[in-house]
Amino acid sequence: MQQDSLSTAATSAVFSHSNAAKTTAVEFRQVSKSFGHHPVIRNVSLSVASGDVVAVCGPSGSGKSTLIRLINQLETVTDGEILIHNKPTRGLNGPALRELRTHIGFVFQQFNLYAHLTAQDNVSLALIKVHGWKKSDARGKALALLTRVGLQDKAQHYPEQLSGGQQQRVAIARALVTDPDIILFDEPTSALDPEMIGEVLLVMQELAKSGITMIVVTHEMSFAREIADRVIFMDGGEILEQAEPEDFFLRPQHPRAQRFLQKVLFPLHPETGAGQ
Amino acid sequence: MIWHPDWAGVLTGQPLQWIISGFLTTLYVSMAGSVLATLLVVLLIALRLSQSRLARGAVAAFVSVFRNTPLLVQLLFWYFAAYGALPQSWRFYIGDTHAWAVFPGNIAWLTPEFVCAAWGLGLFTAAFLVEEVQAGLNSVPKGQTEAAISQGFSRKTLLLSILLPQALTNAWQPITGQYLNLMKLSSLATGIGFSELTYQVSQIESYNAHAFEGFAVGTLLYLALGMILGGLMTVFGPKRPQQRPQAEVNDGI
Repeated sequence: MQQDSLSTAATSAVFSHSNAAKTTAVEFRQVSKSFGHHPVIRNVSLSVASGDVVAVCGPSGSGKSTLIRLINQLETVTDGEILIHNKPTRGLNGPALRELRTHIGFVFQQFNLYAHLTAQDNVSLALIKVHGWKKSDARGKALALLTRVGLQDKAQHYPEQLSGGQQQRVAIARALVTDPDIILFDEPTSALDPEMIGEVLLVMQELAKSGITMIVVTHEMSFAREIADRVIFMDGGEILEQAEPEDFFLRPQHPRAQRFLQKVLFPLHPETGAGQ
Repeated sequence: MIWHPDWAGVLTGQPLQWIISGFLTTLYVSMAGSVLATLLVVLLIALRLSQSRLARGAVAAFVSVFRNTPLLVQLLFWYFAAYGALPQSWRFYIGDTHAWAVFPGNIAWLTPEFVCAAWGLGLFTAAFLVEEVQAGLNSVPKGQTEAAISQGFSRKTLLLSILLPQALTNAWQPITGQYLNLMKLSSLATGIGFSELTYQVSQIESYNAHAFEGFAVGTLLYLALGMILGGLMTVFGPKRPQQRPQAEVNDGI
């Protein structure tokens, strides 16, 4: 049995502050990211408190996905610093970086479930292989999480035997299995048929109430409006507006935010004034 | 002219002994070559995926040399050139008769011909296998890697738990084909005087001129061996989810 050298998920000096009241979970300090000569994130500063639920929206190509992929270092920053629970993360590599990642759940647009494993094994694998759990314990926890997302009866199904909405709920269970205190969603409903968006949003709504820090890149305005504590609007690699959902949807300040909302909320009337 | 095949001329007496011995020799050298090729391909894949440019360059050179030269030439090289360069004491030892180095059916395996044939077949096949496994790895979507990395998997665990199982499933048919090639190409070892199946049925031709019957039986034995080996690899190989027997798939999806 192959095992990594990481210690158990729960204990880490880096994350010992995570239960204190309203500390900062994620902080961007003048972060920039370029792919070659092409800048994708320009000098972004942002602070997300523990337990906050933040929706990130903006036109495609605005850098939203890159923004959250920088947090768990699926991409590395070109300039600036990202702090997780007030600890800088830029220099981390090897076991320290893997340790950091086990505390940050990530949910992908295309689910990315391990195609050769059942739903239950998808959820339990990291516990067994990365954290050295006993198989029976890991499978028990996986089943409990699948129950939480309403899929206990699909535990023995393979990803291709599940609908898109079911796959994404398994992916959320998988992201939660190491008890992360931050969870990142990269357009979690964009690849779903419309009738399956609701089941995923309901799981996310339940999760938002649990006190976990959530950063959600989304085109789903109902999520941003009803579940998020704060909406961040990005365009051209910059954060142009941050506001409470009600302010953002009713009184967007930045002209590009106004134009974006007009297109998203009234796609048949892209040129008339903001929705009255 | 009316010609009647005479099967008794090959299926009795000395010719039958040769055919049985040749068949078993082909079976054993294929198994030995397959084990060697499998061990080598594990090593080659590990080297190729390492960070070292030197190691990756060495794998590229290995693949290039063994894929782009004829197997017969490689076998002749191992037997006539490389084997002769071994220390004399080794060659004497290998050339001796050893009671313990005999497979069932009285097939001695510690002989210069057997060793060179298995070695040559193993190296040649490994060069092809490494590219089949690589193609399988390339076919695994990038999202699988990203998901595992974001869960804190190390490179090694990612490879062993996520990528290789899917790569081997995707590439299993071509991989099976390479092992079958190894078995069939063992017939080229007749060129170094290795008494495997092809060598033995050729011998029948000069013994009693039953060329048609001899090669017909030989061909059928290769066919049977190939079908059995291919079938075993399919039955015991990795399966896609829909190929696995499952009790509760059809409950309302």
